[in-house]
Amino acid sequence: MKFDDHLILTQQFAHPGPGVRFRTMLTARLLEDRLQKICLAGEAGDLHFSKGQEAISTGVCAALRPTDHMVTHHRTIAHEVARGADLYKLVAEVLGKRTGFNGGRAGEMHISNPDIRHAFSFQLVGTCIPVAAGLAWALRYHHKNDEIVACFFGDAASSNGQFHEACTIAAIHKVPLLLVCENNGLAGNVTKDKYLPTANVAERMGSYRIPAKTIDGNDVRFVESSARLLLAWIRDGNGPAMLECLTERLCHHKQGQGDIRTKEKLAELALRDPLILEAERLGLSSDAQTTMENEINAEIDRVLERVRLDPVAEVG
Amino acid sequence: MTRDPWFRNRLIRDAIYRAIEERMRIDPSVYLLGEGAEMKIHFDAPSIERDFPGRVITMPISEDSNTNFAVGLSLGGCLPVVDVITADFLFRTMDSICNTAAKQATVSKPRTIIVRAEFMTGGPTTGQRLEALFTHVPGLNVVIPSNPLDAYALMRDALSRPEVTLFFEDREIEDATSFCWSSVDDILPFGKASLWWPGGDVTVVTYGLMARRLQLLRSRAHELGLSYELIDLRTIYPIDWETIFGSVSRTRALLVVEPDVKFGGIGAEIVARVSDGTSEDGRVPYGRPTEPGIATHRLGAPRITIPIDFDQRRRLVPSDDDILNAIAALS
Repeated sequence: MKFDDHLILTQQFAHPGPGVRFRTMLTARLLEDRLQKICLAGEAGDLHFSKGQEAISTGVCAALRPTDHMVTHHRTIAHEVARGADLYKLVAEVLGKRTGFNGGRAGEMHISNPDIRHAFSFQLVGTCIPVAAGLAWALRYHHKNDEIVACFFGDAASSNGQFHEACTIAAIHKVPLLLVCENNGLAGNVTKDKYLPTANVAERMGSYRIPAKTIDGNDVRFVESSARLLLAWIRDGNGPAMLECLTERLCHHKQGQGDIRTKEKLAELALRDPLILEAERLGLSSDAQTTMENEINAEIDRVLERVRLDPVAEVG
Repeated sequence: MTRDPWFRNRLIRDAIYRAIEERMRIDPSVYLLGEGAEMKIHFDAPSIERDFPGRVITMPISEDSNTNFAVGLSLGGCLPVVDVITADFLFRTMDSICNTAAKQATVSKPRTIIVRAEFMTGGPTTGQRLEALFTHVPGLNVVIPSNPLDAYALMRDALSRPEVTLFFEDREIEDATSFCWSSVDDILPFGKASLWWPGGDVTVVTYGLMARRLQLLRSRAHELGLSYELIDLRTIYPIDWETIFGSVSRTRALLVVEPDVKFGGIGAEIVARVSDGTSEDGRVPYGRPTEPGIATHRLGAPRITIPIDFDQRRRLVPSDDDILNAIAALS
C-alpha cells in the first residue's frame, strides 16, 4: 500500500464515544493548572506544562495500541494522562515522592512508565528521537513484532543535530516509528524565525524520504484519525512517518519564567484552545462542563492529599 | 584460567572479542554497533561475522545519535556494545553517554550498555585521553585493561552487569601479546585492582598502557636495587581503594603514574584520598593524614595538545627514567 492510499482511509475509523477525548484533555489541563498553583506556592520546583497542546497527546495516544510504545520530550504530564497513567503515581513522581513511577527520581522530565509503555522522556531537546529509533529497531529486528514507537518532540528539536542523525538512521533501517512533531512555533522563548528556516518541519522530511503530514494539532479528532492512518502505514512495514501537529503553547515555557509573547497575543492564541473546539463539537453546555471539571478536580484533590503525606525520593 | 593456553600470544583486541562472542553465543540480545562495525568485525572477529550476521549494525558517522540509539536498543531489551572507535569521538557523544545512558539507571531501571573506544596515537584530535573526564560522571564505569587476560575478564564481567561501562583500549598496547603471570591464579572480579609483587618498597598505582610499562620495568628496577608493589587498577571506576590502602599501609610511599593529562587527573584523587586517609565512601578508613606522613608523588602527561611527531608524542607520557627516578626518591 502506498502512503497516499492511506489518506483515503482516514474517515473510516469510528470515534469511540463523545466526550472521552474531551475528558482526557480536560484532566491534563486541570492537573497541570493545579500543579502550577503548587509551584507558585513554592511547594515544587519549576515544571514544564503543555497547556493548549493536549489534543496532540490525547489524539495520538488514542490511536496507539496498548502494546505500542511512547518516547517523549520533557513536557510529559499530558502524555501520561493521555495514555491512562495512574494519576496518584504520576503526581507523586512529578513532585519527587518515593511512591512515584520512578521512585521520585525522574520528575516530570525523565518519566518512564512501563504500565503504559512510556519507555522514556528526555529533558534534552532532540534526545528522544534517536532513542525512539533504537527502541523501534529492537521491536522490528530483535523482537520481530508489529509494535510501533510514537516519538513526541517539538518543532525546535528539528534544528538539533540529533533529530537529523536519528531521521537518517530511522529511514535507512525502516524502523516502525511515528514521529509526532508538536509544532508550537517556540523553542523555550525563542521564536521560530530564529531556528526554523523552512515553512514547517514536514518540509525537512523530504531529505530522509520520510513521509510527513502537517495538520491542525488542536483538533483532537483530526489528530487521532491522522495518527491512525500513519500508524497503519507504518505497521505495514513501510518505515517511519511523521505527523506534524500545528498548535499553540498557551502556558509559559517553564512555570516561573516570563514569556516573550504579550498578554494580548496569548489571549488571541487561546481562541484556538483545543478544549473550546471539542466542547463546541460535543455541544457541551457550560453546566455539563463545570460538572465534569468538579469531578476531575475532586479526584486531583484526593490524589494530592495522599501524595503530600508520601516520603520524598531516596537519593542515589 | 590464567594458564588457559588460548591467552598465550593473544592480542588485547582478540581477548575482548572472545568475551563478546562467548556472550553472543548464549545471549541473543547482544548487538554490536558503530561506525564501520561490519568492516571491523570482518577483520577482527571473522567468526562473529560468520555466525551472527544480523547482530552487527553499521551506523552512520553520527556518534551522538548512535549511542542514544543504543540506549533505545537497551530499552527494547537488547544489550548493545557501541564501538565509538576513537576515544576523541567520545566528545561528540558525551551527551548521550553522560545525560542519557548514565542517568537512565537512576531515573528508570539499570540496564547494560557498553561503549568501546580506543586511545589512539595520532595527533591533536586522535590521541586524547578521556578517562579522568568520565570518572567524574555518576552512573558510569570506566575500564582500561593492560593485558589480554584482564581485557577478556573485564569485558565478560561488564557484559553481565546492569550498568553503563566505558571500555577503553590503549592502542599502543592493543597488539601486545599476553604472557602468563605466575602470581595470579584466578581472574579478578570487576572493580578489583591487581596487585603485583607485594613486599616492594614503594606502591605504584597505574593502569592500561603505563601498567604494561611498569610490568616490563621491574627487572631494570631490580638492577638499580629498587622494588615496588604494582597496582594495576583495571577499573578506574569503581576504584579499588582497599587494595590501594592495603599496599600504602605497608610501603608508606605512593607513586601514581598516569598516561592521561596530570592536571585534574585520577592520580590527584588517589593522592588526596590517601593523604586524608579516607576512601570515597568513607568505608576504608586509613590512619591519620600526617602521622607518620606518607610520601606521595605523581607522574603524568603535560596539559598540551597532542603533537603530530612520533617522538614528541612518545615523550608525553612519563619515561622509564622518570618512573625509576621517582621510585628511587620515594624509597
